[in-house]
Amino acid sequence: MIEVKSLQKAFGKVTALDGLTFSAPEGQITGLLGPNGAGKTTCLRTIYGLLKADSGEALIDGVDANKDPLAVRRKIGIFPDKFGLYERLTAREQISYFATLHGMEGEAGDAAVAEVLSRLDMNAIADRRATGFSQGQRMKVALAQAIVHRPKHLILDEPSRGLDVMSTRILRDLLRELRDQGTSILFSSHVMQEVAALCDQVVVVAAGKVAAQGTPTELCEQTGESALEEAFVKIIGTDEGIAA
Amino acid sequence: MKSPITIVFRKELKDALRDKRSVMAAMSYAFFGPLLMAVAFYVLISQLTDDSDVKIDIEGAAHAPAFVEHLERNGVVQRDEAWPAGQQPIVLAIAEGWDESIATAQPAKVTLTADFSSQKQRTDIRRVESAVENYSKQLSYIRLQMRGIDPRITQGVDLVKHDTATKGSKAAILMGSVLIFILLSVFFSGMNVAIDISAGERERNSLELLLSQPLTTHQLVWGKSLAASAFAMFGGLLSAILIPIIFKFLPLHEIGMSVSLAWPMILLIIVLLVPLALLATALQLFVSFRAKSFKEAQTYISLLLMAPMLVVFGVEFAKVKNQILYYLPLTGQHQALLDIIKGEPLQWVAMGISALATFVVSILLLKLISRMLSSEKVVFGL
Repeated sequence: MIEVKSLQKAFGKVTALDGLTFSAPEGQITGLLGPNGAGKTTCLRTIYGLLKADSGEALIDGVDANKDPLAVRRKIGIFPDKFGLYERLTAREQISYFATLHGMEGEAGDAAVAEVLSRLDMNAIADRRATGFSQGQRMKVALAQAIVHRPKHLILDEPSRGLDVMSTRILRDLLRELRDQGTSILFSSHVMQEVAALCDQVVVVAAGKVAAQGTPTELCEQTGESALEEAFVKIIGTDEGIAA
Repeated sequence: MKSPITIVFRKELKDALRDKRSVMAAMSYAFFGPLLMAVAFYVLISQLTDDSDVKIDIEGAAHAPAFVEHLERNGVVQRDEAWPAGQQPIVLAIAEGWDESIATAQPAKVTLTADFSSQKQRTDIRRVESAVENYSKQLSYIRLQMRGIDPRITQGVDLVKHDTATKGSKAAILMGSVLIFILLSVFFSGMNVAIDISAGERERNSLELLLSQPLTTHQLVWGKSLAASAFAMFGGLLSAILIPIIFKFLPLHEIGMSVSLAWPMILLIIVLLVPLALLATALQLFVSFRAKSFKEAQTYISLLLMAPMLVVFGVEFAKVKNQILYYLPLTGQHQALLDIIKGEPLQWVAMGISALATFVVSILLLKLISRMLSSEKVVFGL
């Protein structure tokens, strides 16, 4: 369970989070939907303890990342805003590096890495160095790094950026599978279609606040619109920064 | 469970070893530095020990065949070829009345024309001068003896020169400059790796994910700095072993020097370099974790490299002598190395203190870097 309770965060004079409150329960995919600059990345970074909130708290299974960052980070898998690879390491070595950092080593670690490699259909590139990987291949490595230690919580920051249809499909299948296994998944996006297709629950964020919350159907009902996109525009009052 | 420090260390080492640029950088400084020195010394020695004839223009040789013969015996001979461009000729002119001056026991006039300020011709001119002076001395001896006077009467003082410089202490001057290479090799060799694992991490956008893993920034910084120190130490090791070997092949004995470093001493030098390697890495990481890109870090670090160079060269050339130098980081290792090479008694306590001081400074720096990486301002450049 990921809980965010009245988070406040300002960078100088700019208020990034303004009392943001929501929760992402287990076995559900929660989508954080909002235009660019709404505070999505700031919120996620606060959850895994890279940023400190001015007030309020972000809890993973009741643990605050600001108080015990290591305990929180052991429970989560992260697909960050920017994912750079180590160009001189092979895909297998990169994934294995993150697995060992999560305490998976020896045969158990190797097995976990091998499993995630075949789950993401990466065996062909497993022992190639990352130099020359396509965007889709890079995404797969980053995704594998995030889930290799089988975290109970998965946090993804705009995971479908720059992906082709096949890669997007792999990503969606994987997220659904993990959800069915009881993982709580929180992901941010500004792509309507993706949120509509994937999410059990949508949290619409605008200007650092929750503008609306509910299933895609509920959101449509609340606003009296038939399409999520129209509902979204009505909620945040502008269509700026939204991709269909 | 394996310590995160070990995990990070092993990954960074593997990564760095695959980076040809880093390996080349570590190798080339340690390798080409001493080699360059060796070539320079070789040229210097062969110039100093040049005992080929001095070829000058001798005018009026026909007036004094015996004198010319004496000059020839002393390696000063008549020049046949032209003077090279840019070099003033050295001319020794024997005046016409030579025979008469000798016969009447008058000073025979000989004129030496040359550019006395020329660095290159200085030794040549001196050799001509001393050959002439020698002849003059012989002549006066004969004149005095012919008049029944003991020639020793002309010698008021008998100055006996007693050179106490040992071959080792002469070599120390030379080795002093070589030492700088050994000391600086730890600063140069790990540089590329240090930049790659700090500013490089940021440049390739992998820093955020790494910092979100279940390890403290302290463990991360230590793992990384140990990997970079390993590279720095590799360079130090290479140059500490190579330099004595290269000096074995130089004909230093020809200029009255001897450099002999026994293996235990080389081992001691290597041990002295260990804390210095950690300090070098800590300094470099401190600077380049703040940089946003590889390029930016390189700029900062090349400025940073001036610091140890200035310190070492400053102490070396200003001949600063103060006991405190023995206790400080960097200068402590420098002084200890100087003592080792001069063959002077070693100050073990001072060596220990400076090693400890170096470790303490490095650890404090690494602490500071860990704190930096926990700060959102530094990580996200806010």
